[in-house]
Amino acid sequence: MSDINELVSNILKQVDNSDTASTQYTGTANDSSSAAGKQYGVEDYPLYQKHRDIIKTPSGKSLNDVTLDDIANNRVDRKDLRITADALKMQGDVAGAAGRKTLQMNFDRAAELTKIPDDRLLEMYNALRPYRSTKDELLQIAEELKSKYNANICAAWFEEAAKYYSSRKKLKGDR
Amino acid sequence: MKRQKRFEKLEKRPINKDVIVKEWPEEGFVAMKSPNDPEPSIKVDNGIITEMDGKKREDFDLIDMYIANYGINIDNAEKVMATDSTKIAKMLIDPNISHQDVLAYTTAMTPAKGQDVINQLDFGEMIMGAKKMRERRKPANQCHVTNYIDNPVELAADAAEAALRGFAEEETTTAVSRDAPFNALSVLVGSQTGRPGVLHQCSVDESTELQLGMRGLTSYAETISVYGTDRSFTDGDDTPWSKGFLASCYASRGIKMRFTSGSGSEVLMGYPEGKSMLYLEARCILLSKASGVQGLQNGSLSCISIPTAVPNGLREVLGENLLAMMYDLESATGSDQSFSHSSMRRTWRFMGQFIGGTDFICSGFGAEPNPDNTFAGSNEDVYDYDDIHFLSRDYGQSFGIHSIKEEDAINVRRKAAEALQVVFKGLGLPTITDEEVEAAAYADVHEDMPKRDKVADMKAAQNMMDRGITAVDVIKALIDGDFKDVADAILNLQKQKVVGDYLQTSAIFDEDWNVQSAVNESNDYQGPGTGYRIYNDPDEWKKVTDIPQVIDPEHFDM
Amino acid sequence: MADIDEKLVRQIVREVLAQTHIDKPINFQKASTQANNISSSENASGNVHAVPENNVDWFQPLGQAKPGYSKDEIVIAVAPAFATVLTKTESGISHQEALRQVVAGIEEEGLKARIIKVYDTSDVSFLAVEADHLSGSGISIGIQSKGTVIIHQKDQEALNNLELFPEAPVIDAEMFRAIGKNAARYAKGDSPEPVSQPNDQMARPNFQAISAILHIRETHQVISGKSAEEIKVTL
Repeated sequence: MSDINELVSNILKQVDNSDTASTQYTGTANDSSSAAGKQYGVEDYPLYQKHRDIIKTPSGKSLNDVTLDDIANNRVDRKDLRITADALKMQGDVAGAAGRKTLQMNFDRAAELTKIPDDRLLEMYNALRPYRSTKDELLQIAEELKSKYNANICAAWFEEAAKYYSSRKKLKGDR
Repeated sequence: MKRQKRFEKLEKRPINKDVIVKEWPEEGFVAMKSPNDPEPSIKVDNGIITEMDGKKREDFDLIDMYIANYGINIDNAEKVMATDSTKIAKMLIDPNISHQDVLAYTTAMTPAKGQDVINQLDFGEMIMGAKKMRERRKPANQCHVTNYIDNPVELAADAAEAALRGFAEEETTTAVSRDAPFNALSVLVGSQTGRPGVLHQCSVDESTELQLGMRGLTSYAETISVYGTDRSFTDGDDTPWSKGFLASCYASRGIKMRFTSGSGSEVLMGYPEGKSMLYLEARCILLSKASGVQGLQNGSLSCISIPTAVPNGLREVLGENLLAMMYDLESATGSDQSFSHSSMRRTWRFMGQFIGGTDFICSGFGAEPNPDNTFAGSNEDVYDYDDIHFLSRDYGQSFGIHSIKEEDAINVRRKAAEALQVVFKGLGLPTITDEEVEAAAYADVHEDMPKRDKVADMKAAQNMMDRGITAVDVIKALIDGDFKDVADAILNLQKQKVVGDYLQTSAIFDEDWNVQSAVNESNDYQGPGTGYRIYNDPDEWKKVTDIPQVIDPEHFDM
Repeated sequence: MADIDEKLVRQIVREVLAQTHIDKPINFQKASTQANNISSSENASGNVHAVPENNVDWFQPLGQAKPGYSKDEIVIAVAPAFATVLTKTESGISHQEALRQVVAGIEEEGLKARIIKVYDTSDVSFLAVEADHLSGSGISIGIQSKGTVIIHQKDQEALNNLELFPEAPVIDAEMFRAIGKNAARYAKGDSPEPVSQPNDQMARPNFQAISAILHIRETHQVISGKSAEEIKVTL
């Protein structure tokens, strides 16, 4: 039977890899220490010119290791070409330093969302649209954001929406 | 009555085909000031806004609540709200007061206050306001790339030509929504062939647009619409919280985005609540600010025949553009959709945005003849290119585009079509023939292209999404097809998404992938002799002055 | 140990995976339509600007519209002012003629049309969404009084569509018929070539302000919370 098990497990891996659209990212962005501590400012911008050494892809590659050759030889896939939570925090620092607090807040929310798979993220967005969800359903997503993705700002966003959708009649069945 | 001959002729002038109507304030058919608009007011208790524009917090609708919670700089709010609106309006045109100093006031205004400040300005003063308040130092422009049958080969060729002409952003949309993946792909390949660094988007419904971005098939998004009344917002199938979350979804994938709004939409949707167009637009601007998006496309846009049907319409339109800048947002100022039969009125439509200079003067200019513009026609199209170059030359003013040589256009169009041909081949999409490539190089309108099997293309477009095709697959196909430079441009675009520099306000790229945004290239205009002037920028000035039509007097001979 | 058919295993794995990843779009429209049916008229609230509906011989209400189960029906939803307050589209086609053409188009393909009047929205997308949930085939057509038309399918997002005809001033009798025909073909599972639309870039200056006036008047007739009515038409 071990043959079958091995075959299934191999195929599973292949299928998972080919199915990039819904593969959950399990990279190391949060483990890298690059963005921790230091505050970035307007003088650090553009990061591409000034801090290319610090910015990494979600799988930890340096941008200099993402070349046409790497793509041709399948050493890079789409998941490598995504922004990380760290880079978003750095951009948030820059936006804040330039006087744009709401833009920084948006980048802070976005940093939390980098870990959520595309399909799930789209579902969460759709759940926030008018008349889509009950109050409980919104609060469940808030809970999922907290427990599964450590996304506390976004969880608060859903909780706030649940509160106001309830008083301003935008919940499922209110139409 | 016996007709007077001059009156008879006047009646037949194109201008008299335009429809104008009387103000109808109770239905919001009023541009700048409705008797139903609220008076500006604010109350702040312990850092929370408890009253805004005459409404108590418990009576706030979702839009009020969202603006009060996130949109207004509360620290300065009480001081600014107590400042006379004419004083703030004067700051806009006073060369002794800097862009940053004005922002300290204007980002703390409620919607009614913002409206009140704009109401103090005439058209010329608004132009001066735009000069100072625009975010990026150098103005740029955006175009529409579409055709009536969503022909992908022609889209790629038009995208390439427009990129070569200098447009910093390109926007496509579909004739049939299911074509969206092909349109996005064609403009991706075409734009990067024409000039690496051009950004592009595909305007479709919210979910599809985000999916295209996530796959790297687009590089920014814009058609994220917001509306100024609760009912219209709900009919747009969103809430402020869902739109704000969507903004973060885009940023989380490293994709630039701006919101879209514009006067007249609430009237057209039937729920203006008796408020003026400018007041409702002020709410949209503050909603966008509250969401933390870097920018806004406004200026009535596709609803342009609503404000321009009533008095002060075009003054209101420039006013709403300026108001977006006053909230520290990138401003894509529309000046696009067709609205008049009169050439004179059509030109004046964009004069404020052109002379003031905005982040994107048009959003966008038709990069195809109007009958092929599936945004239902633009105010400016390909046949206006030379008029625009002459105007730039006449006024010493940048329109963000420049003249190109015919042979360069043919070459770049052919190359884009060839690049798309190898991408289609590599991705297993319906074949693009050599005949189509050649036709695209010389085409003007979609009728110049050989017919394709529409149903097969539509199916393949959907199938492309089902198969999970991404920009990486496109790059591979280009490498295999020996278009390494185009592959490299598309790869650079993806790498920029990893870094996120272009998520900052008003960001665009030059041809060497240097980002230019309000962070590193902020607008330093502060009166005569300052700021960006195209006649002081030798490279750009040459491109708009040294054009094929020019007679060289020294070597002139009949 | 029997030979392992790798292809088969691969297929099974994919199927199992597909089942675990099944998409469950949150189907609010259905739930909310049902909720409306329950609470229907007692919560209905109209607009103070609404004018009384005219009694029109060819267009008679038959009571609350119900879901259909016949796979060969298309539900056509018309907007609140249709036929009873306003009478013509922006292209000058009478509402009766517009419906006659759409129904004829559907019938040419061997399908049946059922007509409802929606009261709680004047938005063309939401008209069609209300109708596609009542439609046995899941395909609906929404028509506003000014003549804007949409073809919608049940599983689509409200603002998505199979085909949208936003430029009411260019929709003539022939196009109305072609739209009916295409809706029927979608119901049969075909992929028809979309109905071609004249692209008149001057439609906006000619008609947008008039569109707004007509739409405002239509929206005056919206009765929030009122269920759709089944309509008997004599064409």
